[in-house]
Amino acid sequence: MFNKVLIANRGEIAMRIVRACRELGMQSVAVYSEADRQALHVRYADESYLLGPAPSRESYLRADKIIEIAKRSGAGAIHPGYGFLAERADFAQACLDAGLAFIGPKPSSIAAMGDKAVARSTVSAAGVPVVPGTEGEGALGDDELLRLAPQIGFPLLVKATSGGGGKGMREVHNLEEMPSLLHAARREAEAAFGDGNVYLEKLLEGARHIEFQILADQFGNTIYLGERECSLQRRHQKLLEESPSPFIDDDQELRHQMGRVAVRAAEAVGYTNAGTIEFLVDKDRNFFFLEMNTRLQVEHPVTELVTGIDIVTEQMRIARGRPMRYSQEQVSLKGWAIECRINAEDPYNNFMPSTGQITHILQPTGPGVRIDTGIFPGIEVSPYYDSLISKLIVWGETRAEAILRMRRALEEYIIIGVRTNIPFHQTLMDSHRFMAGQFDTRFIEERFNFNSVDSSREVQTEIAAIFATLVAHRAAQHSANIIQRGERDTTNWKWLGRWERMHR
Amino acid sequence: MRYVTTIGEREFLVEILDERHVLLDGQPFEVDFEQIVEQPIYSMLLDGKSYEAYVYPADQAWQILLYGRSYPALVEQEMERRLRMASGGGVSEKAEFHLKSPMPGLVIGMPVMDGQAVKKGDVLVVLESMKMQNELKAPRAGIVTRLRVKTGDRVEQRQIMLTLV
Repeated sequence: MFNKVLIANRGEIAMRIVRACRELGMQSVAVYSEADRQALHVRYADESYLLGPAPSRESYLRADKIIEIAKRSGAGAIHPGYGFLAERADFAQACLDAGLAFIGPKPSSIAAMGDKAVARSTVSAAGVPVVPGTEGEGALGDDELLRLAPQIGFPLLVKATSGGGGKGMREVHNLEEMPSLLHAARREAEAAFGDGNVYLEKLLEGARHIEFQILADQFGNTIYLGERECSLQRRHQKLLEESPSPFIDDDQELRHQMGRVAVRAAEAVGYTNAGTIEFLVDKDRNFFFLEMNTRLQVEHPVTELVTGIDIVTEQMRIARGRPMRYSQEQVSLKGWAIECRINAEDPYNNFMPSTGQITHILQPTGPGVRIDTGIFPGIEVSPYYDSLISKLIVWGETRAEAILRMRRALEEYIIIGVRTNIPFHQTLMDSHRFMAGQFDTRFIEERFNFNSVDSSREVQTEIAAIFATLVAHRAAQHSANIIQRGERDTTNWKWLGRWERMHR
Repeated sequence: MRYVTTIGEREFLVEILDERHVLLDGQPFEVDFEQIVEQPIYSMLLDGKSYEAYVYPADQAWQILLYGRSYPALVEQEMERRLRMASGGGVSEKAEFHLKSPMPGLVIGMPVMDGQAVKKGDVLVVLESMKMQNELKAPRAGIVTRLRVKTGDRVEQRQIMLTLV
């Protein structure tokens, strides 16, 4: 049984895992790239070791080096977090071969679910409904895919078999545009996963993306911790998650039915540890298996807040070969939780990634607010990694209370140095459609206008005009003062302050 | 000092009487205006009402981020503005457009060639940053010229990648 854990990740999720280690009285070992020497996880872990240069391929994806560091430091287990090596069966196997516990599922489960086409046929055989598409036929060539497409019907999705996060995914509306989109999807998949294989799946319109959190121990117990609503996405990247789902809400029958199917899907691959079954749910409440994420999810905190279960702690416990602390009957959902993903991207400039040094942060606190982040004033947001810099999670007794709390927390949250999507979330919180829970996976891209006035918030153009004028006025005065530099012995700003006081 | 501040379709006459008093279209307000810890964030008490906004310079104008909304504002002294209006003003539609990299990244695709005619909205460069691929499109029709980067190149923020004439 291990007492020291190496965390093969960075950013907020590395911090999340280091914190769990602290609370459990376990030793933590961080690894880092040359770009991350000052990062919080490096400073907060008990031990930290350099992996290599900034690019992921030379650092966080260096499985060999990570295992070597684990052995050298005496760690007994590796927690992969999400992304990087988290869903690589060969890495999980290499850990086991090196005598290290892998805090996650068995390599065979990762492999079975990692190839999306194989996953579909496996769960389908276990009686789990799947979205119609090309079944587990392995690597299909373009000719075969083009032949099968009309049978599935348009619109459809081209998806990377090793995919995730919307990479290597393209939407196809007709046969004519399909060859070029296939090419683009393969190119992107090849770059992101080193595997250019793709498969086809029918595009369900008006569908919601709802996922179930699963926990399974090594004694054959598998439970589900309720659902998460993840329909709010942009370019197939989740932006906001909540639990419960406003679509399922108090339909306990549907929740139990989906939960049981999720458990069956996990059991079909002999799953252990934490995992997530993603479903698409259509307007008529039919649900289809989409894929399984065989790792801890970015959005796990919303489940933690409504169930009161610490998923990371439970992961450690399961990996140490102990039974779970909870049975299905002990799991219940209390209240409502919402998570906003704070990304370093500029919503006013087509959501372009924004990089640079963070100069100032003011974080929201107060009742019902949780922040998982790895940023602090002075840290550099580099272009090498994901743009997720912080997760803002709130809990409320009801959905309405959670929304009001999220609004005030977003208003409090100040990050300067890089642009963030906080204004986007603020606009979303004000949207009537969001408040009413009326949205599907297309909502953000097709029906939500970030700059529109479908919002309950008043427009304050006059106030903005005064702000702009006063700042411009000060800037003009400042530059006028610089021209006359040397005439005063104190700095211009001090002089201006005195001048202001004198005239009050 | 009298300023004309333009936000969208609306124009405001803002008169700064002294450090404590402003007129907005003739209406007087008592104002207390503070910059917070030398950051581009400002606190304003306007007749006692508290407001806070980010104010960023943006291409000869200002971007005001106020409670989740962005207001692009052009601030001109009234005199300057009169001169500009008298001289015709405005920017030429025919000016060269320099496509600058909006962020540091890696050029992973360039679907255009030197001398090629493009339509508004055509993809000029595919840039990868933070693991995402971003398509940079032509803001207007034109001829592609002076290609300064190629597929595989690393680019810095604001680096000019090509020009549209």
